[in-house]
Amino acid sequence: MASLWSLTDGQSSAPVEHEVLIAGIGGQGIQLVGKTLALAATLAGQHAMLAPDYGGEMRGGPSQSTVVVGEAPLRALPIVAAVGAAIVMHDRFTGTVPERLRPGGLLLVNSSIVVADPETVGPYTCIELAVIEIAQELGAPAAAGLVMIGAFAGLTGVVQAERLVDAMRTLLPPYRQQHAAANARALEAGWATGAEQRMTVAPT
Amino acid sequence: MTDIVATDRPPEGAAEKVADFRPSLIVGEHSLCPGCGEPVALRILLETLQELEIVQRSIGVVGHGCYGSFVRIMDVDVLQCLHGRAPACATGIKRVRPDAAVFTLQGDGDMVNEGLAEVIHAAARGENITCILLNNGVFGDTGGQQTATTVLGQRTKTSLEGRDPAHHGYPIRIADIVSGLEGVGYVARGTVGTPRDVARAKRMIREALESQLAGEGFSLVEILTMCPTGWFVGAPQGPDYMEQSMAREYAPGELRARSAPRGA
Amino acid sequence: MSDHPPDAGLELLEGSTAIARSAITAGCRFFAGYPMSPFTSLLESMARLLPDSGGVCINAESEIEGVNMALGASAAGARAATGSCGQGIALMQEAIAETALNETPLVIFNMARNQQDYFQCTRGGGWGDYRTLTLAPKDIPEAVKHTQLLFHLADAYRIPTILYGDPLIAQTRIGVRIERLDLPQLPAKDWALDGSRGGTGHSRQVWTWAMGKTTEPGPGPDRHWQAIAEKFERVAAAEQRYESFRVADADTVVVAFGSAAKFTAHVVEELRAGGYRIGHFRPVTLWPFPGEALARATAGARNVLVFELNAGQMIDDVRQHAADRSAVRAIGGVSIHESGLSYGPLLDVPVIRERILAGMSGEPRTGTPVHDLARSLL
Repeated sequence: MASLWSLTDGQSSAPVEHEVLIAGIGGQGIQLVGKTLALAATLAGQHAMLAPDYGGEMRGGPSQSTVVVGEAPLRALPIVAAVGAAIVMHDRFTGTVPERLRPGGLLLVNSSIVVADPETVGPYTCIELAVIEIAQELGAPAAAGLVMIGAFAGLTGVVQAERLVDAMRTLLPPYRQQHAAANARALEAGWATGAEQRMTVAPT
Repeated sequence: MTDIVATDRPPEGAAEKVADFRPSLIVGEHSLCPGCGEPVALRILLETLQELEIVQRSIGVVGHGCYGSFVRIMDVDVLQCLHGRAPACATGIKRVRPDAAVFTLQGDGDMVNEGLAEVIHAAARGENITCILLNNGVFGDTGGQQTATTVLGQRTKTSLEGRDPAHHGYPIRIADIVSGLEGVGYVARGTVGTPRDVARAKRMIREALESQLAGEGFSLVEILTMCPTGWFVGAPQGPDYMEQSMAREYAPGELRARSAPRGA
Repeated sequence: MSDHPPDAGLELLEGSTAIARSAITAGCRFFAGYPMSPFTSLLESMARLLPDSGGVCINAESEIEGVNMALGASAAGARAATGSCGQGIALMQEAIAETALNETPLVIFNMARNQQDYFQCTRGGGWGDYRTLTLAPKDIPEAVKHTQLLFHLADAYRIPTILYGDPLIAQTRIGVRIERLDLPQLPAKDWALDGSRGGTGHSRQVWTWAMGKTTEPGPGPDRHWQAIAEKFERVAAAEQRYESFRVADADTVVVAFGSAAKFTAHVVEELRAGGYRIGHFRPVTLWPFPGEALARATAGARNVLVFELNAGQMIDDVRQHAADRSAVRAIGGVSIHESGLSYGPLLDVPVIRERILAGMSGEPRTGTPVHDLARSLL
């Protein structure tokens, strides 16, 4: 699935790997979103890697997370030079997306706050999702990131929604358990939205 | 009771050695100076291990100093460790062998100079080990330099005109410091200058080891030992000199008795 | 659709956690260390996991205390370990040398910040004629295996051993399986201190000078330290490890260690696929350095390109053993992340590719290595 957005471009005999770079600011749950995807893939029996990130401040500073998922032991390096997909959650920080996202790659944009300038996003397969509004409508205002990762998974088929929900429950600390149900709705709604879009987006 | 031995004729049987008053756990001669107090301390320690019947679960950690050579003549399991680090090594041993009776044997240079952090941290952590400090106020093994416990006015190779606070600061009473820490079960200070003091010091060692075996925390027994060579006095003058100099600075007694309330 | 069935046994673990789990699987029951990034997560993982396996983890009050605690625990017969990185390992050098000379097994996890610790791991810094067997894994699955191997080798030879990790190994999370390696059984530690031979005339002694007791004299420092030196020669002969590929007909061989070697290998594979006669050599043991294997791998190579993220440390060993010393060139360099805690921009595939291509074409190197400067003055 989605071989356009994978590391193995040009090496068709090698097992497929998906890389996604998630960029935002501290406080948006970028690290949690990356971990959720990586854990979901692991629970589904796939090989996943979550690269380390050295962002500084807890709130407001840049935050970036890179996840690679594949069906066989990963060949990806811990510093991923090029990614087939990226998610931009905040306009103030696009991270290394411009340097790392391959032309034609999948770019998911949080259109609630990010304006996707056609010239900037032109080289990519850009999909805009108002994830903050979606999250608010679901009664899960803090779960915009989860909506987005759900959408990414639905769009690419990399993992099923159930696995994302399992991962989210595992990662939720005891003092946040009250958010589990809302988070699950966010993931499922995101996944459904992404799955719908899958039909309209064809790799070129 | 023994028979009365007649002295108007030679004895009937051959002479036989009944005892040489050396504890069986000391298996060789020491090579320390005449008048040195450290062998006396070793003896009362080993006798205590025997009296408590813990020889076969005793493990010693010996630091660096003249007493370091005791690792050759003490018939208990021993680790000879880096200068100052004995309380840390002893911690590792005790944590993996909680039923062992673990003691350290360290001089003042070892414990109070190089190893100041180790002994304080082990005490604060409440490690169930017994540290024994042989305090003679000099680095004996390296020829008699000043240590952190050298008393004011004492001549040493690095304070030839006598320790002067303006140049050399003040001595550290480590037993007093340690006795104020939580995590400590027993702290005492004795000397080996007179037979009575030797007996008292031996009782202190026993209290300390019993405290360890009861799991009461860290124990420290400081023993003031004579070092005539380091003090530039003759061997017979050692005990008196120690009374006049070391014992004035370091008061013998129990600084923290067993079961004393914490923070007392 | 896929010929790769799901692998249900994988756990998503941070490298530090995977290493901790592997150490516990190897029987490690004592760990003591002092926080220092990126070693800190390993200390925290041990603190969290060891007690449930009946072990002890102490957050020591200094690196010096940590390593000496581990030494004590090991002298008493337990599988013990410590760790730190860089300057913290420097503080431990006296005790590391001590374990070599008093034959106390020890595993030291150097979760380094970068590749600048190579000298420290291979040249020591403690006192005496000793060595530290050092394994440098390229990634987390290898680190998991190396961890168990190090406990085994430490016990088998009664030596200090080092795992050379780094921030990528410590902090990356991957799906991994912690499996017990099948390693040969070792004899019981008859030398370990447990008190039991007290009073028998055969009580034990662990001492760098090995003089023994009057009841059972030992070899003394002269014969003991000669024996230790001979032991390290045996270790050197038996325990070299390396990995190499496509060197047989290579014009250019790239040499790298640790995580960096995974990057260089990736580029070398790409370039090979693109038609370049290029191969790759990775020392897995930094000490003993696999010199003979390197000599064989570089025979006939016009370019031996050493990529390391430091000012040139492993290159000394490469120069010593390469088939043609004049073919050896440095293509790495110091490269530090702005936080000071990890690698800088040099550890990146596009940059490495440029450096290798420049190295192959004989274009000017970045900077003149000291050895070459000296030769040019002759």
